[in-house]
Amino acid sequence: MSTENDMVTVTLRVHRFTPRAERERPGRGANPFARKSSPFGSSARRRPRGKQWTQDYTLTVRPEDTVLDCLLRVKRTLDPTLAFRYSCGHGMCGSDAVAVNGTPMLICTATVAEWAKPDDPSVADDEGFRSTGASDADARPALGPGEHGVIELEPLPGFPVQRDLIADIDPMLDQIRRLRPYLEAKGELRTTADGKVNAFEYLQSPEELARYEQLTNCIACGVCEGSCPVFAGGDAFIGPAALIAASRFVNDSRDGKTMERLDAIDTADGVAACQSVRACGRQCPRGIDVGEEMWQIVAKVRER
Amino acid sequence: MYDAVIVGAGAAGLSAALGLLRSDRIRELKEQGLDPRILVISKLQPLRSHTGSAEGGIAASLGNIDRDDWHWHYYDTVKGGDWLVDQDAAALLARDAPATVIRLEHDGVAFSRTGDGHIAQRRFGGHTAEFGGEPVRRAAYAADRIGHQILHSLWQQCVAQGVEFAEEWYVTDLVLDGSRSHVAGVVAYDTHSGAVHAVHARNVLVATGGAGRLFRTTSNSWDLTGDGMALALAAGLQLEDVEFVQFHPTGLAHTGILLSEAARAEGGVLRNADGEAFMARYAPGHADLAARDVVSRSIMAEVDAGRGVADPKDPDGPKDCVWLDMTGIDGDHMEAVLPQVVETIRDYANIDPTTQYVPVKPTAHYTMGGIPITTDGEVYRWIPSDGETSDARRDVVEGLYAAGECSCVSVHGANRLGGNSLLDACLFGTRAGEAIAARVAESPVAQIELEGGDPADDEYAPLVDAAARTREDEAKTLLAGNAGDDAADAADADGGADATSDDNPYRLLADLGVAMERAVAVRCTAETIETALAMLRDDLVPRAAALRAHDGTPAFNQEVTAIWEARHLVALAEAMLRASESRAESRGSLRRLDFPRRDDERFLAHSMIELRDDRDPQAAKPRTRHDVSWQPVRIVDYPPKARAY
Repeated sequence: MSTENDMVTVTLRVHRFTPRAERERPGRGANPFARKSSPFGSSARRRPRGKQWTQDYTLTVRPEDTVLDCLLRVKRTLDPTLAFRYSCGHGMCGSDAVAVNGTPMLICTATVAEWAKPDDPSVADDEGFRSTGASDADARPALGPGEHGVIELEPLPGFPVQRDLIADIDPMLDQIRRLRPYLEAKGELRTTADGKVNAFEYLQSPEELARYEQLTNCIACGVCEGSCPVFAGGDAFIGPAALIAASRFVNDSRDGKTMERLDAIDTADGVAACQSVRACGRQCPRGIDVGEEMWQIVAKVRER
Repeated sequence: MYDAVIVGAGAAGLSAALGLLRSDRIRELKEQGLDPRILVISKLQPLRSHTGSAEGGIAASLGNIDRDDWHWHYYDTVKGGDWLVDQDAAALLARDAPATVIRLEHDGVAFSRTGDGHIAQRRFGGHTAEFGGEPVRRAAYAADRIGHQILHSLWQQCVAQGVEFAEEWYVTDLVLDGSRSHVAGVVAYDTHSGAVHAVHARNVLVATGGAGRLFRTTSNSWDLTGDGMALALAAGLQLEDVEFVQFHPTGLAHTGILLSEAARAEGGVLRNADGEAFMARYAPGHADLAARDVVSRSIMAEVDAGRGVADPKDPDGPKDCVWLDMTGIDGDHMEAVLPQVVETIRDYANIDPTTQYVPVKPTAHYTMGGIPITTDGEVYRWIPSDGETSDARRDVVEGLYAAGECSCVSVHGANRLGGNSLLDACLFGTRAGEAIAARVAESPVAQIELEGGDPADDEYAPLVDAAARTREDEAKTLLAGNAGDDAADAADADGGADATSDDNPYRLLADLGVAMERAVAVRCTAETIETALAMLRDDLVPRAAALRAHDGTPAFNQEVTAIWEARHLVALAEAMLRASESRAESRGSLRRLDFPRRDDERFLAHSMIELRDDRDPQAAKPRTRHDVSWQPVRIVDYPPKARAY
């Protein structure tokens, strides 16, 4: 335990939701004006039916504790019914993307010291809107020892909420799957006389590897999608995650389907829908400059 | 009715799915228009499996950098496992390792490369040339993200094959026939809706991973709750060598987060409170790259001798850590080859490893034991000789397979070598998939339909349906809770309310982790084991049985699955403690302070533990007891020797 002086008090303000028992009928059409939780509409695609409320949990924690540490403590000591996805706890599995004070990120990498802000009712109004200036990390005073801060948690924007902080990210996975996200090698393999492929790896120089290596680090957490105003706004945009997956193979010297891959994303809802806002890369937990990669893949599509 | 159901979507489960679908038998079947019915069930979303956290490498004698030979890898695996390794399996592991790694490369894994474009390899503890000679670079790697690369590439290839997934379904029952000789299917709980499904299957493969969450300090994700092993126990099957748990020597202090062995392979050195690089004293010649159990015990010995250091985050706490000194590694090189390690240290310890020492502590990492399987992945029961009429034998459970960390083909013996876990999962996962393919091809479900039959009309189907009904009733009971207290009440209770209704699976899990850590982490005695068993008996087992959910909405009710997970872990903890108790020797990762020496006379054998019903008519309710039998180790090429590094 840290000495008591180092501890801070934090209130986790969680936007909760419990679905009503499902009925076998399709949801109503999207209505962008019926949204409550975020100006970009976490429920733009299908407004789920059920009970919504905000619940505060107050804990005494170390400033370096992560938001996930705090939520796990809530489950253990205060409220075992709070639902949120988590698994590895150190930023590799990609399960726990949540909007922290309105910004999508992994809660296992967000610390209390970084994200707790003074409890100021003017920051977010009853409708969940907040003034955009408040998200500027530099302008926020750091929480000192013994002080009390608030962290507001909402499900990842851009996806339908399923329960509490759990969002349905299947739309993203479907979009990734649609772009044939697997290596289709050129077939530059040596073949033995009886027709069997011999046991050698495809050769690839360190320089060729460097051209796509970082793109392979994507963990499909959805942070970029929740940050993208086009995607989260409910448009049909295929989204940055699927484009990163496509770009990963376009840039892999072993892959032989470059032209087909570029064709597949050269559509109105593909690269053409990207508005170069570059919000996608700001919180990428794997450090991928998603916006820059979008730019690069757009250039490749144009140049072909 | 499925041809095959695969439980688990990590390296082992996905390798099995691919091994199955890419086999010649299935290809022929598809050409005849008969598509196999395969379902992969995972309690997680896609790509979340713990395989993705493996950092260091996958071992194979590719010889891309140093001259290498698969026989050397074979020998190192046997020696690393302290001769509790079935040598027929280890020979396969080493021999087929290069082909396995190259298959992964073809599947898209972005391996790091040598200057001439081959797969790069690095040193890993316990891997040597010439049967225990100089260290050899054998671990193929992808920076320090090999697990992530393998998980994603295998999933991508499954997308290419059109594999059907049931995501966030939790398997609650493994259903066998009455004689435990044939699989019938599984029961699964859809966490999205709370619906219970009876899943009928001709073949079932269990690939659910390990059980690191038995311990408080663990590198394992929150989902490694030993589900597959507990399902096997509950189905009346045995577990093999479950007393062997590897503690990775370099967990990041009290977080348990793993710092890859690659940190030491690249030049990191362990130091005690006096600054001494102590590993040279414990393992001359190998020093910091000795096998993991050796390093973990050496760290504990330093801590016990008063030369440990406190976690700087907890300066007044116990001095139960030592330093990892990476300051000798060139900063740019460190960023290039250990990006994940550096990032973890910076983010979770707030330390700059290029200038500061890093606190480390052994962390529960890998369960060597598990569901006993043949080298084709078939689950079997060990039937000891009755001394007169029958010889000891392996009785295969028809249609039931296992692979990966939840299984035990016994290539890791009493201690796993680094780089061999991904290899085990991919290689034996693929083999199991191919074995299943042969069974599927003999009588595919699609064929029965084509001939106008009803595949559901199966002699085993009623067994699965009955198990599903029982489980459905239990789920209702769990959701009904204790006197219907709702979330708000629970939140307000603040520890003052009735202890039973205030208990929850998350708290239970934490208490279990502390008890197990105290009892058997790195070392144990009969006394520590007995203390933990008493705690299970008097506290944890009754508490686990009394758990109820605090909210009645079935959709995404995580507490329901957490209750089942807690019960799985409690059941597994008891089996692990009983197995540890019965092995009165020290071998590999098992350090019995009361039996400090290896005893080949009595224990060159695998422990096979199972639950037996004690049908005592006098007893108020049926009691179960653990029964341990011993299966001799298969020794082919390398007779046991002292294991010195």
